Amino acid sequence: MLEVRNVSKSFGGVKAIQDVSLTAKKGDIIGIIGPNGAGKTTLFNVISGIYTADKGSVILDGKDITKMEQYMITREGIGRTFQNIRLFRGLTVLENVMCAFDPLSRYSIIDGLLPTPRRLAEEKRGREICEHYLEVVGMLKYKNERPENLPYGLQRKLEIARALTCQPKVLLLDEPAAGLNPTEVMELTELISRLCEEIGFAILLIEHRLELVMGISHKIHVLNFGKPIAEGTPEEIKENPDVIKAYLGEEEAKC
Amino acid sequence: MQFYISILTFTLISVIAVTGIYVLTGLTGMFSLGQAAFMAIGAYVSGFLVVKAGVPFVLAAIIAVVISVIVGYIVGLPTVRLRRDYISLVTLGFGEAITALLNQTQSITGGALGFSGIPKITTLPLALISAIVCIVLVSYLKNSKYGRQCIAARSDELAAKAMGINVPRIKMTAFLIAVAVTSYAGVLYAFFTTYVDPGIFGWKKSAEWVIMVFFGGVSSLTGSIFGTIILTALPEVLRFAADYRTVFYAVLVLLIINFKPTGLFGEYELSVGNLLRRLSGKKEERSNA
Repeated sequence: MLEVRNVSKSFGGVKAIQDVSLTAKKGDIIGIIGPNGAGKTTLFNVISGIYTADKGSVILDGKDITKMEQYMITREGIGRTFQNIRLFRGLTVLENVMCAFDPLSRYSIIDGLLPTPRRLAEEKRGREICEHYLEVVGMLKYKNERPENLPYGLQRKLEIARALTCQPKVLLLDEPAAGLNPTEVMELTELISRLCEEIGFAILLIEHRLELVMGISHKIHVLNFGKPIAEGTPEEIKENPDVIKAYLGEEEAKC
Repeated sequence: MQFYISILTFTLISVIAVTGIYVLTGLTGMFSLGQAAFMAIGAYVSGFLVVKAGVPFVLAAIIAVVISVIVGYIVGLPTVRLRRDYISLVTLGFGEAITALLNQTQSITGGALGFSGIPKITTLPLALISAIVCIVLVSYLKNSKYGRQCIAARSDELAAKAMGINVPRIKMTAFLIAVAVTSYAGVLYAFFTTYVDPGIFGWKKSAEWVIMVFFGGVSSLTGSIFGTIILTALPEVLRFAADYRTVFYAVLVLLIINFKPTGLFGEYELSVGNLLRRLSGKKEERSNA
């Protein structure tokens, strides 16, 4: 279970997020929405350890991970994708996913220099796990391609497969539908809810496509100018006057 | 004949050093302008142990490599956390400091006059076997989890960390492998020329290696080796036109950087499997046409 307690983060004088709290249990899909610059990605960066919170704490399964190194937070069980796709150039699709398995792979530098039985066994185990996750997102047939040659939608899916290979307890998806066409968005929606049921982790989802967020989230948090302005079920959020104000602006004064 | 054997041995020693640079620059994307200093440490420590302390060659070589790795670890500690461009600066400073140190400690190292009287132990077969062993080990490394993590860290450090990769540690591993390989090349060098002086281990040597890797193909081990063989052997063969060879060398590098920035080989690795695939691919094209 992930618990974010009263987290704040400033950059110089800019208060990127203030006093944000949320909890996510196994099987939850939590949507995070808000206008551009509301601090959604900053929140993800604080949870995944790219930034350290100025105030507040991030707790995963009872363990305080607020001040841990980024790679340790991943190993504790926070997987993520990026808003602007960040795949590894110079590696194939399968190798990209393997990179997420490699920190868990158990062989030493001696095995790295020679084809020892332990190395071969671990590489085989890793390849099977990674091929499984590629299969899950439906990308196994592209495993020997270079990611930069793939269409945008597949690159997004590859990022998800790579994040899954970290075997996360909480998966952070940062605008997974950005730049996708309507068919791809539908496929993605179906994939996210299927993953949540089958693998049973918590998913935090930043997304601008409201039909996607409203459709699959169990709970939604709304941020505006770094402050939480509302939380609740999709139905409650749709009705919330503060949310409408943040998205559509103040209602015109009555004439 | 002796002349060609000598060129060949020097080329092979360069190849050994460049396999290290390939791990550092090609795989991990770190530019070191002080790598030749580790060659100097390898050369001086092993030479000193054999000449002044009567230690057998093999043991001296091992001690020299171990000492280089320890020094490399100390230099690496603050360096691997830095951004790439700063790494070049730190290693440049370190490299020049080592050269200055060798020049100043005249009573021990002979200073600028050099350190001579090292027995001639390195032969062509020894250099050849060493080069092959280094190439094989590095090619295994490239395809291991270490190689993948190095490439991931080079490509996108932030994403690599987000995948659970301990980036400073993987950079340190790559750096120390490069240091070990380079200092071993230094050992072979000292016991081939029988004489070393600080002048040959300056930043120009380090820069030359980086150029060789880029010339052949920064993402290809076989490309880097090919680049080294051409760029080491060429100036020797062109010795009759000694006045113009650096000009020729410069033109060659400029042409490559301008017209094929990924180097001669790009990402292509020369191997039996790839060659066969290429040949059969060509055949298919032909039968399709």
